[in-house]
Amino acid sequence: MSEHTTSATTRPSTRKRYKRIAYGSLGVGIAALWIGIATDRFALGVLLYWAGGLGMGLVQRFSPVALYDERDTTIERKASQNTMNVFAYVFVLGAPGGLVLEESGVVTLPGEFYGAMWTLFAVSAVFGVSVLYYKYRT
Amino acid sequence: MRNDISERRAETGESQADLAAAVGVTRQTINAIERERYDPSLELAFGLADHFDCRIEDLFDPTEEDR
Repeated sequence: MSEHTTSATTRPSTRKRYKRIAYGSLGVGIAALWIGIATDRFALGVLLYWAGGLGMGLVQRFSPVALYDERDTTIERKASQNTMNVFAYVFVLGAPGGLVLEESGVVTLPGEFYGAMWTLFAVSAVFGVSVLYYKYRT
Repeated sequence: MRNDISERRAETGESQADLAAAVGVTRQTINAIERERYDPSLELAFGLADHFDCRIEDLFDPTEEDR
């Protein structure tokens, strides 16, 4: 999201305006999705939601000023690391722990548990591939 | 990292927003650097040194914890 950084001179007021437009576009899309769901126009809601997301991406990509700087990137990187750490603990402890509890008859795990664990496994796999990619690139 | 950017900025009469615009970052980033809560990248450090017409080591004074 914050890869669109430049060291070019930027005016803060312009940056704020474009950020508002970008997030506003996504916000309108999310509102349209909820309204679409509430009024049984699901397909239209999803279409407008995608349009809002696309609008946000286009503003971020083509805005004349850099919307994010290196501190934003650093903050996102640290937040991502923390998120991965939390998921790693949940996955490493939760998956075998849940299976042991089920095998010993203490609990009956719902299907959602296995879905969540497979999702965490997929996230971990994507993270691992990304690490390898950047390790070989740098 | 300890630095004297706010003092240099005061000397030149620039606001944080002016300096931020000059080096291409947000005002919040300049504020975070001045409050020693964010260490700039090498590229930004060079940009700041270039802006104040000095060397990086004149701007920043790393403590033992920073090394």
